[in-house]
Amino acid sequence: GLRRCLISMDIHHIEEAFQEIKKTIQAKDTFQNVTILSTSETLHSIKPLDVCCMTKNLLAFYVDKVFKDHRELNPQILRKISSIANSFLYMQKALQQCQEQMQCHCRDEATNATRIIHDNYDQLEVRAAAIKSLGELDIFLAWIDKNNQGTSA
Amino acid sequence: AVLCISGGLPKPTNITFLSINMRNILQWSPPEGLQGAEVTYTVQYFIYGQKKWLNKSECRNINRTCCDLSVETSDYEHQYYAKVRAIWETNCSKWAETGRFYPFLETQIGPPGIALTTDEKSISIVLMAPEKWKRNPEDSSLSMQQIYSNLKYNVSVYNTKSNRTWSQCVTNHTLVLGWLEPDTLYCVHVVSFVPGPPRLAQPSEKHCVRTLKDQTSALKV
Repeated sequence: GLRRCLISMDIHHIEEAFQEIKKTIQAKDTFQNVTILSTSETLHSIKPLDVCCMTKNLLAFYVDKVFKDHRELNPQILRKISSIANSFLYMQKALQQCQEQMQCHCRDEATNATRIIHDNYDQLEVRAAAIKSLGELDIFLAWIDKNNQGTSA
Repeated sequence: AVLCISGGLPKPTNITFLSINMRNILQWSPPEGLQGAEVTYTVQYFIYGQKKWLNKSECRNINRTCCDLSVETSDYEHQYYAKVRAIWETNCSKWAETGRFYPFLETQIGPPGIALTTDEKSISIVLMAPEKWKRNPEDSSLSMQQIYSNLKYNVSVYNTKSNRTWSQCVTNHTLVLGWLEPDTLYCVHVVSFVPGPPRLAQPSEKHCVRTLKDQTSALKV
């Protein structure tokens, strides 16, 4: 599962960084009736075997799309988002090694779940989609954390 | 629905969820300047990603300033919003709304159950993980440990004779404190916590126990 790939990654400092900007970011998201990560159709259905691939796909989603599409004027928030983005780049490197050691297979389940997320994103205006995805970082981080120390109920 | 002039009243204030072991209570303060007036309140809630606001029938036109939304927010891996408005005579306020509430990350973890047994120089502590809130007492129990597999406990021990306190962090549910002083009152309190984003903590009550008298010195007399 993910534990072998991300063992050195301390998710908690990323969670704390996000915690400080969460209320502000989520308050900017005015579309409460739409989600990007759609957890019940995506993250909640991911099996341990697909955790690595799903993490890799979602890190790429945030690094290549969300952080790039988001525009932020507040320097403090921008600093926190940049630190989170850098941590995601670090995690991508860690997962790259897993990829090379053939431990990060991508099956249909993870590919389909990733497509749902991208489709959700593309249905919204790009800035709204980016701010909504940022507002859902706590969901992604909680999912990584949970899958990082084994499954629980 | 009550017909009223919207915005005729100031909104309720300080609207938040108080969540302990997934028991999720919405609470708020009366609108500014209306403390003591015969104001009633109506609550609605929203499941993030769904389509519309939902009524909470037991919290329509209520006098109290809290509403138990534990049932409506029991899927702790979803996120929610709630809102409340004030009604007084023919006037009502605009809605006051919470931020996005995520029970899985925001609920406070209650203290564990604690059982202490002692002999002359040691105290055995057995911890029982707190339980998730359940609607009916006869429903099956779910331990918070089953939701948070990385649940930990911070055990603080206070020697009432030397006035010294020490703490240790444990994950398992039994621990033995050794090398203690005989015939001494020790007090223990425990806080449950989950590594991750900071969340408020609920300390346990203080449990005190006295170590037994040293039998060897008793025999010499």
